[in-house]
Amino acid sequence: MSEQVADAPQDGPRPDDHEAGAGRDPLSMLLQPGAWRLERRLHTRPVHELYATLIALAITAVIIGLLVIIVGVSPLDAFASLYEGAFGNRESALETLVQATPLILTGLCAAIAFRAGVWNIGGQGQFIAGAIGTWWVYDTFPGLPAPVLFVAMFCGAAVFGAVWATVASVLLVRYGTNEILTTVMLNFVIDSGLSWLLSGPWQANDTPYSQTERMVESTFLPRFFDDSRLHLGFALALVMAAAVHFLVRRTNLGFELRAIGVNKQAASYKGISVGATIIAVMAISGALAGLAGAGELLGLHHRINFEFGGQAVGFTGIIVALVARLHPAGVIVVAIAFAGLLNGATQMQVGTGIPAALVDVIEGVALVFVLLAAVACRYRLRKIAHHG
Amino acid sequence: MADAAQSGAAAPGENILVAEDVTKVFPGVVANDSVSVEIRRAEIHCLLGENGAGKTTLADILYGVYRPEEGQVLLNGRPLELHSPRDAIEAGIGMVHQHFELVPPMSVIENVVIGTPAKQWLDLTEARRRLEEFFADYDVEIDPDAEVGRLSVGEQQWVEIFKTLYFGVEILILDEPTAVLTPQGIDELFRILRRMRDEGLTIILITHKLKEVMDLSDRVTVLRRGKVVGTVDTADVEQRDLARMMVGREVLMQADKAASTAGEPVLEVEEIHLGSDTGRGSLEGLSITVGSGEIVGVAGVSGNGQNALFDAVVGVRHPEAGSIRITGQDTTESAPHRIATLGVASVPADRIAQGLMMDFSVKENLVLGNQRERQFSRAGILNRGQIDTFAAESIDTFEIKTPSAAQITRTLSGGNLQKIIMARELSGQPQLIVAHQPTRGLDIAATEYVRRRLIQERDRGAGVLLMSEDLDEIFQLSDRIAVIYDGRIVAVTEPDATTLEQIGMHMAGASDTDQGSP
Repeated sequence: MSEQVADAPQDGPRPDDHEAGAGRDPLSMLLQPGAWRLERRLHTRPVHELYATLIALAITAVIIGLLVIIVGVSPLDAFASLYEGAFGNRESALETLVQATPLILTGLCAAIAFRAGVWNIGGQGQFIAGAIGTWWVYDTFPGLPAPVLFVAMFCGAAVFGAVWATVASVLLVRYGTNEILTTVMLNFVIDSGLSWLLSGPWQANDTPYSQTERMVESTFLPRFFDDSRLHLGFALALVMAAAVHFLVRRTNLGFELRAIGVNKQAASYKGISVGATIIAVMAISGALAGLAGAGELLGLHHRINFEFGGQAVGFTGIIVALVARLHPAGVIVVAIAFAGLLNGATQMQVGTGIPAALVDVIEGVALVFVLLAAVACRYRLRKIAHHG
Repeated sequence: MADAAQSGAAAPGENILVAEDVTKVFPGVVANDSVSVEIRRAEIHCLLGENGAGKTTLADILYGVYRPEEGQVLLNGRPLELHSPRDAIEAGIGMVHQHFELVPPMSVIENVVIGTPAKQWLDLTEARRRLEEFFADYDVEIDPDAEVGRLSVGEQQWVEIFKTLYFGVEILILDEPTAVLTPQGIDELFRILRRMRDEGLTIILITHKLKEVMDLSDRVTVLRRGKVVGTVDTADVEQRDLARMMVGREVLMQADKAASTAGEPVLEVEEIHLGSDTGRGSLEGLSITVGSGEIVGVAGVSGNGQNALFDAVVGVRHPEAGSIRITGQDTTESAPHRIATLGVASVPADRIAQGLMMDFSVKENLVLGNQRERQFSRAGILNRGQIDTFAAESIDTFEIKTPSAAQITRTLSGGNLQKIIMARELSGQPQLIVAHQPTRGLDIAATEYVRRRLIQERDRGAGVLLMSEDLDEIFQLSDRIAVIYDGRIVAVTEPDATTLEQIGMHMAGASDTDQGSP
């Protein structure tokens, strides 16, 4: 080492410094003081972000592989059975899309709010509010013709989700209350509210359980195939992803919400009302989670019971949005991937004995490394000793 | 510093620090292109050039922040290999950057000794003795135990300079040291720098202000676009020559403008009070009037209420008392977008924090704030065709240098950032322009451009409220000059009826009751 750092003044000019530098082994270059510098990139290109994300996922796979080895199973077997359960055949692939449906919507819920710099962690509560809204419309207007009722139920879901999010946004805009705290707490509030509804006013007459009546069959969302539970909600989720993309990129409101997400001060100096934009964005965000609630209720469960929302799709949506770097198209891809994990985990548990809970670990590890990658790709390592 | 003079090998007048064919490349930019400079012992050597000319890069190379791709630096004739500023300080080269590197909650002494190498004893008593001696010697009144965050900017600069000298450097590099000082503060700094030079210190001063070069330096090296244009003895040249070397063509030293024909008032601010709750200064009964077709320059040291006045006029904050009328309409309580629709353009002091979305594209910034205008959107949907057309026209008219309209704004230079703001703000033919420090940090060409546009707007009939800490700018552009001090306008006069010194006195708080009321 000490010989290699022989950059003392008396050495004189060394025109061949470039070659000399290239010949050194990387470790000593790294250890040489001032030889490497972490520089902030002026501008991050999307391709950097893609590479960084892929590297992050590869690291995740390695870490999970190590965990699997500790359990005593071959990682290849584990991943193979995970994949088999997720996408291995038509049946499991379609079921993965079923699981992806609410994740796409809650992912969009988080993504649009985060784009505006508003940290809506209340997707879970807004999801439940959406289901409550759906049931309320169903319960209150039983005589409506089917098409009108469908529209009304989805509208009810969106409005309930939006209202629940607005509670937090009004507190934020009016009193500056931290939205992370309020949205998290509102999740608990609506959970309790739902328990009360299910054990009281909305409890089915003929059971001792905390659950509503089963909905009449005319309110079931149409399914695409006879042999799969994949329902119209999936198409709705894709349409919503396109709509969110359009909203963010092509409308006034999207321009303004991106503006307050980037620089609230400049936005307010240029006449953009930060408060009004936050209210609008949170309402849209909550409505998206509410639609997820309607989709699950009308497409799969057809009744609300105490297990409704037990999959915590609202929280997984946050991870989906972050891993997707808040891009709507990315949300679709990541939601399907995460749904595949959930779906494949059962198969993996049966086939290899690895607990399905490993999926939670995978999600967590992936999130940490993708977020690290997002930060890391804003920088680059530059060798400054011999090349600037 | 006195002992430093004897320690070196070179006698006064001989080369102490030499850069030979130094080349430094940043992505897409050759910041220094085979630059050679010779610095002589005990001289004040200015590095003059526009923003982006490569002055600071060269200084950072001399100070070990960057290493050049090619070329070398010689100290006392021997090649110098710097891996970090620590190496530079050990070699006797210190630098005070434009943005101070101080720890605000710590005391002056603590800030000075903070760079003590770990192997060395931390002797606070000795540090205090030297500090007090230094301050007494140079007539600088700073309490060594004062919290640095509470000192004025000028005082903080002294702490920075002493912090550097404390470690016994022989060469002091100062990057734009006068940007934060009053005229009196600049005189004081220059007086002391001259004395330090006479005592043997070598001083390298980076600046883009010609006047400072003429006042202070012994020799000057002019850089343009990363290359050395030449090194000259200051005594042999005139300001105009340096300007030509710097810009590469003749420049307008005096803004040409016809006499003012002030019309109806477009801005009437009466006795407004505004608290300092946001940390952007307060106003204590400030009144000022701007007529159509006139430029009213507000002179003052920063922090005397300029930010608050800007905020109140554009409507970001509302005064607790008093009233504001714009084109005759009461806007005291109006929101920013409503004030903008009255024909008010604003050029904020901090263009990055308050004027632009750095992560947006250039074209998005060109329509920022006007995105709801019929021209740019219908039924809430942006009209991308119209935006593209407008952006292309603006880029053309305002000579914004960008690879494309879709370029991310962050990658543009300061002058081009300001041109984006000017293009956006002047597009609607405003009746009132509120400009705060519109040329701060800009190069000569961009400065000239911004000033010319402001005069053009005035000639078109707009009223201009120009707040600036650059007194030359105030004198060149203003039809009337108002001095702001402690949240009030303390004097209003005309440029021909006053002197730089008088305005400087008012800026420092000396009141002059003979002056007319605003």
